[in-house]
Amino acid sequence: MTIPHPLRVAALVFVATGFYTYVGQMVPQKEVLPPQETVIAANLTTDEMVKVGQEIMNGKGLCFTCHTLGKTEGPFRFPDLSGVDTRAKMRKPGYSDVDYFAETIYEPNAFIVPGFNPGMPVINKPPIGLTDQEILCVIAYLQTLGGTPTVTLQTSTKYYTPAGAAPPGAPGAGPAPAAASGAGAAPTAPPAAGAPATAPGGTPAAAPPKAAPGTTPAAAQAAPAKGTR
Amino acid sequence: MMNGNGGTLNRKMLFIFGPVTGVVMFAAVIWMASQLMNREYKEPYRAPASAADATPREAGVNAERAAAETKAKATPYAEVEYRAFPVVGSRVAIWAVAELHLLFAAFVLAVPIFAFIIEVIGYKTGDMRYDRLAYEFTKLLSTSFSLTATFGAALTFMLIILYPKFTNYLMSVFSPTFLPYILLFFFEAFFLYTYYYGWGKFHPLVHLGLGLGLNLVGTGIMMIANAWVTFMTSPAGISDQGAVLSVWDAIYNYTWMPINIHRFIANIAFGGSVAGAYAAFKFLQAETDEERAHYDWMGYIGNFVAISAFLPLPFAGYYLAKEIYAFSQTLGLTMMGGAFSWLFIVQAVLIGNLFLAANYYLWLGMGRVEGRQPLQRFIKYLLAGVTICFMVWATPRSIIATVSELRAMGGSTHPILGYFGVMSAKNTAVNILILTTFMSFLLYRRTGKIAAVTWAKKGHAAQLLIFAAAAIIVVSLGVYGYFVEATVRIGLSVPQVSSVLFAMVSITAIDIFLFRGANKTGEVQWGKMPAVSQYVLIFIAVTFTWLMGLMGYIRSGLRQHWHVYGVIRDTSVDAFTPTIGFATRVVSVTVLLFFLLIGFVFWLTSLHDKPDFERQTNKPRLRHGSGEVPPELAGETGRA
Repeated sequence: MTIPHPLRVAALVFVATGFYTYVGQMVPQKEVLPPQETVIAANLTTDEMVKVGQEIMNGKGLCFTCHTLGKTEGPFRFPDLSGVDTRAKMRKPGYSDVDYFAETIYEPNAFIVPGFNPGMPVINKPPIGLTDQEILCVIAYLQTLGGTPTVTLQTSTKYYTPAGAAPPGAPGAGPAPAAASGAGAAPTAPPAAGAPATAPGGTPAAAPPKAAPGTTPAAAQAAPAKGTR
Repeated sequence: MMNGNGGTLNRKMLFIFGPVTGVVMFAAVIWMASQLMNREYKEPYRAPASAADATPREAGVNAERAAAETKAKATPYAEVEYRAFPVVGSRVAIWAVAELHLLFAAFVLAVPIFAFIIEVIGYKTGDMRYDRLAYEFTKLLSTSFSLTATFGAALTFMLIILYPKFTNYLMSVFSPTFLPYILLFFFEAFFLYTYYYGWGKFHPLVHLGLGLGLNLVGTGIMMIANAWVTFMTSPAGISDQGAVLSVWDAIYNYTWMPINIHRFIANIAFGGSVAGAYAAFKFLQAETDEERAHYDWMGYIGNFVAISAFLPLPFAGYYLAKEIYAFSQTLGLTMMGGAFSWLFIVQAVLIGNLFLAANYYLWLGMGRVEGRQPLQRFIKYLLAGVTICFMVWATPRSIIATVSELRAMGGSTHPILGYFGVMSAKNTAVNILILTTFMSFLLYRRTGKIAAVTWAKKGHAAQLLIFAAAAIIVVSLGVYGYFVEATVRIGLSVPQVSSVLFAMVSITAIDIFLFRGANKTGEVQWGKMPAVSQYVLIFIAVTFTWLMGLMGYIRSGLRQHWHVYGVIRDTSVDAFTPTIGFATRVVSVTVLLFFLLIGFVFWLTSLHDKPDFERQTNKPRLRHGSGEVPPELAGETGRA
């Protein structure tokens, strides 16, 4: 019996489609859920902040999409974070590790680690949109990578001053930036009022400005808010 | 019943069957009505209201009802954020309709491009075969255009119904673009139908002008729609709060131009492959050698168009990926190193299949030429090259393995195969694949010919030298990429791509002059192709369609839980990225629906060539619109 050509064609379409569907089932299957909101209690200890910071870095912060931890051999697309606190204390003169970490998160293009391209987004704005308290927790965790965590929820940075805390550098503001890493922030200020994390979608992000049409890599690097450290 | 009176008997039976059925149906309705009447709800006996005492409960019920009514009247209008689509959910419904709309739109935009080019060739050469071929392609457009518009309308209404708030936001940003879009759509319809129905009715240059207008308007429509889509991925021209600052910046966002270029090329590749599948389908059903020859040629042209557009497509893909990274490294890394990275392994399988099938079709095509073809001996080397490159490209960086296997490997990266899973290897593989396919095409092109120019030897040597130099550059830079930092390695793809493009252009240029006035060793016999070659063409079309569906998912899914990346968050129940397995199933269902519908288009188009319906089979069958006149009318009209 000869099978008519239209039937053969239909069979071919089914088999080819079926084959590609099968290939799609053979690769790892993972459903990616939207990031969970982290509620940060006002009275978190530094140790608790470290745990929260680690959780944020693994989840909502998307840090390990780009950074690695404990990778010893290249190629590196972005800096490995092992021992990052040791390096953070020495990266920029006059900067403590907390200052450096805060700058990398709030203003990532201010300093690019030599040998790497800009690429890190501004973390306190969408699409990642960490809150100031969440960022303090991330800094606490980063301090554990080669150092000792010192920040508290009352630690002030150049970019954020908790309610009731004095801005960095102001009289009575607690430890100076250089001392902040060693001595920790002044725990005398009253705890921040609640400060649960807001939804990252709550504050629309600033769209990076479009560079010239057909942006070249060099031009792309120069454009603000596009690169990273 | 099978004898000559069978038809009459059947008609008698039908004549009786009609009234009998009517009586039975009437009886059934009476019975159903009586049954329902018997079961009708009957109020229990109650004392007349005037005689009954008002109870506190009754007053309470009335008060409750009045309060509910007052509350309902006072409810303010609230904008609904989402509505649910039954069974499959809103996301899958929008996904399938959008994909079908895009597939038909791609086809409708692509076919006029190569139909126009073929018509120009026909006009310039005076060879009417080209004109007929261009018309044959254009015949597919009419129904496809209607389907594109239908799915476009369905998509618009479904967006308004299912995602009203988000759609409203997009409309507020792009409101100045909608009226021009509608106007262009009107012009598209005008040009398309005038181009199709006016075939042979106007001066050729006027007709070509219509074709040019059709293509310009079609490209304009695509670019406007691309602005809406790309804004969702790489928004620009808006404030921190999402308010519009500049509509032009919103249009000219990071990914707009790369998508314009990528879609323009991909549409041609896809349209060529579907038109090739149509020709293959017609070839398989052809009854005469003449038909087979025509559809073989049409299939060859369709495939040639598809593969010619397919070869530069990866380069357009690089450009798009570069701009995605330039907009947001996070977005780029989500695509290439995060949740979507495994989709590129599936993509590698698809593209590898496309290259294999395209090469196989070209090799089979060498058999069209009379006599033994010495160039066929190179096929085995080309096959080896294509296969090795395919394997390298489809090698993942991380291997799925058991815990013990992972321990044995020392991680998820295989100690040897892991080296083939990185971009250095993949870039090299795809460039060599392109070069190999180009070589297959060159061999096919010179089958049955011997260069007759005096500088033939030098020409061949120059071509070989350029080819070898390009291959060496690609492989050397690929190996070098393993030893340098990421900043340097990323830049290596540019010289790799440039050397391949240079080789393709320069070798083709030499080839044109080299084989001018060449001696023929055998004639091309169109139609002398095995049936399997036509199934290869259909396979290529299915693979292209599936690839379009997959890449569309990657482009759209990349935003993850954002409608507009970083601006409008998706808070619906579908605000998660499904598994790759689920995504591929949706893509497959949509592809099957597309082929069901395009099969309908093919069938409808083939009706054009069928003779008109005749009541009595003993009369000669005429084709509607052919100008043929039945003999009984010939005397009246004076024509025969």
